[in-house]
Amino acid sequence: MTADEQQMVEHIVELIRKPGVTINENTPLVSSGLIDSMELVDLLLRLEDITHRRIPAGKVQPKDMDTVAKMFATAERVGKPR
Amino acid sequence: MFRFSNLVEALDAAPAERPFITFWIDEDQRETVTFGEFRQRTFSEAEELRQHGLKTGDRVVIIMPQSISAMVTFAAAMRTGAVPAFLAYPNFKVESAKYRWGLAGVTANLSAKAIVIDAEFPDEFLGCISLGDPSKLIRAQDHAKSPQSHGQFKNAEIRSENLAFIQHSAGTTGLQKGVALSHGAVLRQIEYLSQSLRIDGSSDRIYSWLPLYHDMGLIACFMLPIVCHVPLVMQSPLEWVMHPDSTLQIISEYKCTLAWMPNFAFQFIPRRTPNGRWAEYDLSSLRLLINCSEPVRTTSMSEFQKAFSVSSAVLQSSYAMAENVFAVTQSDNERGPATLWADGVQFRNAHRIVPVCKATAGAVAFMSSGRLLPNQKVRIISESGTTFDSDFVGEIVIQSDCLFDGYYNRPDLTEQAIVDGWYHTGDLGFYHDGELYVVGRKKDLLIIGGENIYPQDIEEIVGGHASVHDGRVIAMGLYNPNLGTEEIVVVAELVDEEELANSVALEGEIRGAVVSGLGVAVKKIFLKPPKWIVKSTAGKAARAATREKLLREHPELNAHADLDQENTSK
Repeated sequence: MTADEQQMVEHIVELIRKPGVTINENTPLVSSGLIDSMELVDLLLRLEDITHRRIPAGKVQPKDMDTVAKMFATAERVGKPR
Repeated sequence: MFRFSNLVEALDAAPAERPFITFWIDEDQRETVTFGEFRQRTFSEAEELRQHGLKTGDRVVIIMPQSISAMVTFAAAMRTGAVPAFLAYPNFKVESAKYRWGLAGVTANLSAKAIVIDAEFPDEFLGCISLGDPSKLIRAQDHAKSPQSHGQFKNAEIRSENLAFIQHSAGTTGLQKGVALSHGAVLRQIEYLSQSLRIDGSSDRIYSWLPLYHDMGLIACFMLPIVCHVPLVMQSPLEWVMHPDSTLQIISEYKCTLAWMPNFAFQFIPRRTPNGRWAEYDLSSLRLLINCSEPVRTTSMSEFQKAFSVSSAVLQSSYAMAENVFAVTQSDNERGPATLWADGVQFRNAHRIVPVCKATAGAVAFMSSGRLLPNQKVRIISESGTTFDSDFVGEIVIQSDCLFDGYYNRPDLTEQAIVDGWYHTGDLGFYHDGELYVVGRKKDLLIIGGENIYPQDIEEIVGGHASVHDGRVIAMGLYNPNLGTEEIVVVAELVDEEELANSVALEGEIRGAVVSGLGVAVKKIFLKPPKWIVKSTAGKAARAATREKLLREHPELNAHADLDQENTSK
């Protein structure tokens, strides 16, 4: 796991407040119901901060945000440096 | 009175040089078209749609991201005489399985001749689009880059009574219903609304982040600008939800004068904008900011007003629905919506409004949705269909000359909704001093010992507890055969799962708060971990689905629920 991914994992653990749930860069988040749509907004904003890229929300689908690893791949694919 | 017999004529009469749509893509990118440029693009695209075989009355489904291109396609389809319908574009906020189910059902019902999607429409959803014979899937072209001449294109002959488009009514459960609207009905609605709001195309400018597949976005922020030739500054709802402070930035920068928003946005914007930046924005250009599409809450309005120092006369309210094209009522432009304080006991027990002063113990506040627009009739009726006088709470039924023709391809639903020429809204409200007040939904009402309890009131109190996630509370009534009445059951999500260990103490505090606020006792409280409550696509707690989930998890409640169902169906 990269340092950026680690930072995002820590943020998600803080966000979901589920004691006992372990998360790594490949843990399904959307499809497992661990995070909801408003939290996805929060995660996209955090992803923009960590990657220093602007991510057009309209180009992101639920599957693109399902794991931390996919989030960073999405930022790379559709994000623009800012 | 407008001189137009259809919406295409209205568009064609707009001043060519006047700016029409400024699309705010993000802080660095905007796209602008004048009415003339927009018109030119609709001619090119209409020509192409006609080449695909589209003719008068054919349905065209448009599934494109919110953009000028999507709006061009919609207007171009109307130019050919076809009947367009916007459907939501897939996005990260909507769960994929739910989107697939909705897309399959709605496209099957419309049996469209053409379905227009953009170049990037995700392949994974293509299989869910119902394509009948001879319907076509069309990938939209970018006509902005290659405008063509429209010398040969001749508009279809469109009469006022012809269908203009289909807009889908919002629903948290079940398939969305397609509301079929004629050109005449839409033009009449816009005429009444523009008179009431004193719209002036040469000086007004509308701001919108609202989705075009919803009546507030489609009618107030696309059709009204077309008919009244008003410039529009808009953005995508997704961009807005990520950066809600952009509302303030856009209104300040473009000096917008008019906007519509649902109630929750009046709280969401100030809460998502750092307090230190509130004073940076200048909203003094706003004439009217209209709270619409959800019950209007005085607390939400005052939160927005205090944050951004907006004059109270700017904040307005309206009662609207897709089935009536849009608005039924509009608050007074000069003084804003009236607030009424009423006796809480009389309201709950006798369904009556007895005005009291604000300081009276147990007083409840209501915010008016304003007076009727021209040619709108409203009745407040009892369960048995008797019409009530002012100050009694009952179901709101409406009649008007902009009422819909029916749900598209669903005579069964139309027959249930329109009875003897009156559309039964399912909303509860009352009339006071010539103004309409909307208090909730009929089917949500709890009847406890003959006393009407509005679940929203209980939910607001429970949601106010520091350990409960505000907005993630559902109150419901379950019939107790031993008592012959319903009992109140509340299910609430805790902010922190660890607090479940303190359930007993928390339940006690919550019960106490409800009793002191409303004078009614909650029979059972179920405290649940975060994410337990079922939500709608709009992110709100979904009442029916949450109730079903609770009954599944707590089968001991089922005997009561069955009787409850039987009781209410009689």
